[in-house]
Amino acid sequence: MAYPPIAIPGQPLGPASQYASGPGTHIQNSQVCASIIGTVAECAQYAASGKSKVGSGKAGEAPLPVLSIQRSAQSASNDAALTNILPEVDAVVLARVTRINPRQATVAILVVGETVCSDEFPGLIRVQDVRATEKDKVKIFSSFRPGDIVRAQVISLGDQSNYYLSTASNHLGVVMATSDRGNTMYPISWKEFKDPVTGATESRKAAKPF
Amino acid sequence: MGVYRCIDNTLLPVLKTGLTPSASGSAYLELSPSAYTNETSPSLVPSSPALKLTCTVHGPRPLPRSAPFTPQIQLSTHIKFAPFAARQRRGYIRDASERDLAVHLETAIRGIIIGTRWPKSTVEVVITVLEGEEDRWWGEESRGGTTGVGNVGGWGMMNVLAGCITVASAAIADAGIDCLDLVSGGVAAIVKSPQSGKKLPDGDTDMAGIEENNQWQLVLDPAPSEHQEICAACVVGYLSARDEITELWLRGNIPGTTKSPTNNSQPQMAGVGELVDKAVEAAVAVRLVLGEAVREAAELKVGQNSGDR
Repeated sequence: MAYPPIAIPGQPLGPASQYASGPGTHIQNSQVCASIIGTVAECAQYAASGKSKVGSGKAGEAPLPVLSIQRSAQSASNDAALTNILPEVDAVVLARVTRINPRQATVAILVVGETVCSDEFPGLIRVQDVRATEKDKVKIFSSFRPGDIVRAQVISLGDQSNYYLSTASNHLGVVMATSDRGNTMYPISWKEFKDPVTGATESRKAAKPF
Repeated sequence: MGVYRCIDNTLLPVLKTGLTPSASGSAYLELSPSAYTNETSPSLVPSSPALKLTCTVHGPRPLPRSAPFTPQIQLSTHIKFAPFAARQRRGYIRDASERDLAVHLETAIRGIIIGTRWPKSTVEVVITVLEGEEDRWWGEESRGGTTGVGNVGGWGMMNVLAGCITVASAAIADAGIDCLDLVSGGVAAIVKSPQSGKKLPDGDTDMAGIEENNQWQLVLDPAPSEHQEICAACVVGYLSARDEITELWLRGNIPGTTKSPTNNSQPQMAGVGELVDKAVEAAVAVRLVLGEAVREAAELKVGQNSGDR
């Protein structure tokens, strides 16, 4: 409990023999040191990752508590509270479909986890990542349309520009869509959205609403 | 703001972060040697110029579409003197000395950023020099300021670089980019001491502990306009928590180490190591202000966050 409440980069927080290094920290001279400014938080290490961590020492020993620094809202005067956050593998993101072709849908990632990105990140949903079953029968055209808002999971940092996303899960897929007429639609099944005005249905890969 | 902090007679800057709302991180630095020296000056014009720098950090941003994949953050630095920054008016296009400073700054900053935490991203550090030191100031020609390397790109550049390193480090910390440590810039110089017992201008610290007749002395934070001649200067970018140097810029000849007719009879007074040590000492002093400014920024953000909830 020796670490300070607020840390600045380079500040030692505690010996690496007692703490493991979490997000926002690094290890220097067997001391866990802060890398960013913010409040210091200690949390118990997850049991699963405890074995693979270097700092946890011999087998059978209790895992070390992890010291991390909470990333706070950027630029003090900015009330939009935009934070610099990168999409990470396994993160769930919200993205807008910008372009489709038979092999893939190009999207712009707007939200990572609960955080609104200050910049849009380019992403890609390939046809084989749209759903988990009957992948060979998936048609991009009947899964997404430009303008749809999609909830997706990052599966890879991808190539030079695009993050690769997947919607192969029940809770992933289109969450907001508009019809040809421009009306906001609501989902009526896992593969259909309905226009409340015209009553027409359009096919989408819908996300399970709840 | 507005309070000039002074420790051991070393000039300490005023530093504040988060002044540019549109940037992800920003900082402003002001160093005003004239605050110490103008009591002795008969003129209303400041005897030496102030250093005013504003730094904005944009990013981390996704890479442009054309750029190749990078597992690390891509850093780019830009330094621009405002057209009105110095007595000699500058153009709107970056000239060679500005590009040179930007390269030095990039070296200093690259050493502290943990690039692997931000794959496929770029960050831009943009510094605008609002008021920059130059070799001579108003009326200095008659009083005998430094006759040095020329008007643009002279000794004043080294002070500007030290300020740039400090202000960029504060802005990067404000932007929330992972760093190993804060880097602070410090300058030391070997100057010709004033003849006939003329008092050193305040704000410079006499470090050499030399005898009466010695011609050269080591000073921290030299103001080029206040010294008759600067013969060597050194800028460092120093990480005080790790005791490492990320940037070292030495310039000039150290008297006693070269064959110069003026100092044949003198003992060798200072080596390169001593000069670098003094520059580090100046950087350590600046680090106090830097750490304090960054801590203030952190407290402000944390306070704001807990207020939101």
